[in-house]
Amino acid sequence: MKSLKIFLQNRKRIKQRATPFSLFVVVLLFGLFFEAYMHNFNLVYITLFFVFATAFSAGPIGIRNIKNIEAKFDGCGRLFANILGECRIKVSNKGIYTAWALDILFEDKKIYIGSIKGSSVEFVKVEYIAPKRGYLYIKECKIESLFPLSTVRFQIDIKDCKRVVVYPQPKGIPLSKYLAISKNFIGDESDFDGVGTYSGSESASRIHWASVAKGELAVKKFVKEYQSQKLEFDFIKAANSDEDRLSQLTLWVLECEEAKLDFVIYMPNGILDSQKENIDEILTKFALY
Amino acid sequence: MRYSPNSHSTKELKLLDLAYLTVLPPILLITKLPMLIFMATVVYLIYRDKRLSDKAILGMTLWGLVAIAISMFGSFNFAGLSRLKVFVELIMYLLILAVSLQRLTKEINFYQIISPILLLAISLFFFHTLPMLIYVIFEIFVLLWIILAYRMQSSIEESLKMTGMLFLLSLPWVILLFIFFPRISFEHASYGFKNEEVAKEGYDGKMYANEKAVGLLSDRIVFEVGFNSGKIPPSSKLYFRGSVLYIKKGKEWKPMPIGVLRRYRPARYVTPNRYDYIKDIVSYRVSLYPTKKRWIYLLDLPIEAPTGAVIDSDFSVTLKGGVNEPVIYDAGSALEYKYGRGTLKNVLDVALGADSKMAPRCAKLGAKIAKKYKSASQRVKAILKFFLDQNLMYSLRPKGLDPKNTTDSFLFDVKQGYCVHFADSFALLCRFAKVPSRVVTGYKAKPKNSVKNYLAVKEKDAHAWVEVYIDNSWVRVDPTATAKKMDTLSMNIINQTDTIKDKASKINLYLLYIKYKVEAWILYYSHFRQMQLYENIKNSPRFALVFVSTLIVLFGIFVLFYLYLKKERCTDKALCILAPLLKRLEKEGYKKETFESISSFFNRYSKDGEIDIKSIDRLYHECKYKESKDACYKLKNEIKRIKKSV
Repeated sequence: MKSLKIFLQNRKRIKQRATPFSLFVVVLLFGLFFEAYMHNFNLVYITLFFVFATAFSAGPIGIRNIKNIEAKFDGCGRLFANILGECRIKVSNKGIYTAWALDILFEDKKIYIGSIKGSSVEFVKVEYIAPKRGYLYIKECKIESLFPLSTVRFQIDIKDCKRVVVYPQPKGIPLSKYLAISKNFIGDESDFDGVGTYSGSESASRIHWASVAKGELAVKKFVKEYQSQKLEFDFIKAANSDEDRLSQLTLWVLECEEAKLDFVIYMPNGILDSQKENIDEILTKFALY
Repeated sequence: MRYSPNSHSTKELKLLDLAYLTVLPPILLITKLPMLIFMATVVYLIYRDKRLSDKAILGMTLWGLVAIAISMFGSFNFAGLSRLKVFVELIMYLLILAVSLQRLTKEINFYQIISPILLLAISLFFFHTLPMLIYVIFEIFVLLWIILAYRMQSSIEESLKMTGMLFLLSLPWVILLFIFFPRISFEHASYGFKNEEVAKEGYDGKMYANEKAVGLLSDRIVFEVGFNSGKIPPSSKLYFRGSVLYIKKGKEWKPMPIGVLRRYRPARYVTPNRYDYIKDIVSYRVSLYPTKKRWIYLLDLPIEAPTGAVIDSDFSVTLKGGVNEPVIYDAGSALEYKYGRGTLKNVLDVALGADSKMAPRCAKLGAKIAKKYKSASQRVKAILKFFLDQNLMYSLRPKGLDPKNTTDSFLFDVKQGYCVHFADSFALLCRFAKVPSRVVTGYKAKPKNSVKNYLAVKEKDAHAWVEVYIDNSWVRVDPTATAKKMDTLSMNIINQTDTIKDKASKINLYLLYIKYKVEAWILYYSHFRQMQLYENIKNSPRFALVFVSTLIVLFGIFVLFYLYLKKERCTDKALCILAPLLKRLEKEGYKKETFESISSFFNRYSKDGEIDIKSIDRLYHECKYKESKDACYKLKNEIKRIKKSV
């Protein structure tokens, strides 16, 4: 009774799909049947029954092969739109027998695993390029085996493999270039910060005439010329369209993360502060914007 | 971490080549020379391992088409195409051409993958023999193995093991389906039988009573008989009838001329008006090898001929054409009979025809006997007595027979000869004594060439005997039985072929019996056999019990083999030594989880388990990681001790 229950559970868990070879087997069975039946060729009968019996026996053997396999989706790390990313799948064989001819079906990709020995675990990397940012709903996420005869696909769903967040594609002006063009400064034009040496390029309005009067050519300096410790990005000013803005901001966020710089992003619906939220949370907000 | 593997194209191509190599041998036996040359060219190009240009492929296509055209030349007309064999042959060549061209491109596609199975199916049109049966099973196994080897990408041992498992799982279904799948009564068609080219010999159609030694001493089997009743008739009844000879011209005996009026037309069944009575009817199946002659052999007296054959007025059974390929037929005969009442006078006149110049001394003796005895039976008895009194010797190499008059020479001077001389002189002497007689040729089977209900009839069993017309019926007389002695040479020859290596001969006979059984119950299993089996199961509880028990035992053996193959081989020595203990602990309720280490399992067990396994833990780790043989040995003993104590 217990065995029957397990058998039924396995039947339910393991999906079986016919392949073109199964169609060939059906055609072959018909052909052999007519060849055998019309002329009483016992050798053809034997071949016919072997084809039928092996195709029939392939079912239990195929189920036995895959029934102890469990696969779990292990995430994709940071997956950016239009950039090759890697997802991981943990495949464990909980039985004592080797499971043969395993493949992973991930969206439109088929990744060959081969065999997994009994009582062992494999981590499989799946390279994937997501077409756009946002949630990626994974339609096909299965482990499959064509073992033994390729006539039936035995498939098991991979656990927790429903959706992943795809971040915007990081692209735009690099942070260093951006800072060179438009630095974020602290202070104001009115905050006088003393005088400095005239270099010859400053405008005449900056010349500190009082010093000139004393015979010394000096220029006025203001507090605003000091770069702030926290970078500030403005969503609206980042680029011309939303997608470009998100891509640009994603790039800067990643560069800031690499350079260990704190930043603040002024979004239309709030402020994202790197000291308050981690990078993945910020990127997720970009992804789902 | 794994990534997708590299392409297996080279390995796949090799496996595909192996599949073709497996299915091609039977095909090669029937492929004509031009196609063989084409195939050799393809093999050479594959061996050269160069990718062909489009022009070269086109060239090969043309060459293949020319090879097909030449191979099929002569059969290439509408009449030819209507014959299945020719049609199948054409399909086979086209398939070979397509497969060859595809293979030269070094690319694998769906059609190439399925073509070996198609070629296998085609080859089954041409062969239907025991070797082919064995080869087909081998082909199926190898093809299965190739599919699994491709799928598993593992070692040969692993894939063979899995093939064995799949094969063993399939076998019970194959057996059950083969036995019980409903058959219809279509006759078995034959398209080939290329393995049997040599004609078997015997006395048929003509018989030469000359001075030469017998030429038929071979042990080659002419036909095999399986008696349906399970018993072989007694030796005195094992006369297999061939041709009936009436006319002696010179040294040659010939059948009745075609124009002579006969009472009965040749027919498949013998009607009751043709005999006074028949008794002891036996049915049997005969496997006759090619003789290139039209006679087929049925036990005396045939009453039912197989399909396509007819029984003529003399109870000779013939086919329309010659037996050019093995023929298997079911037939029926009566072992006790009386027939001949309606024999026409013109036939009896022919059966009395004898020229005294042929054998003057015989003629004189015949006239004397005719004068002395009035009834035909008395005359025949007198002739038999004369034969016995002559102290005749059976000799396969008679010496000194007068080539001008072998009959008189045999009977009065040399007194040596074999069945032909005995039959010839007896028949003539009967005729001179006014008793109608005729010579019957065929085979006299020996019971020692039998096993259970199986009887093998060999070339050297060819025989000739006489039928005499007594009291309105034809009676068989075997004058060779009057021989009182046998010369040393003949004895040696017969001993050489009969008794030397007696055990080997017996084994050989058993092998032939098995072969016959396989042919009868597998190759030629039919609607008739199936019905026979059902009847036996229905009517005989003992048979049914034996039948079911045999199937159960057979399937049990398959299951045992399957379990043996299924069993995972031990790769971790220490873990294998530990396995019985783990099983024991599992029974106690301590199951080692799949990914739990031995150490943590033992720790878990030690908390509340009854057995002290500290030493086991230590020995296990020493055995496994230090690879200490001593530790492994101690571990084994320790586990044994614990198991015993528990």
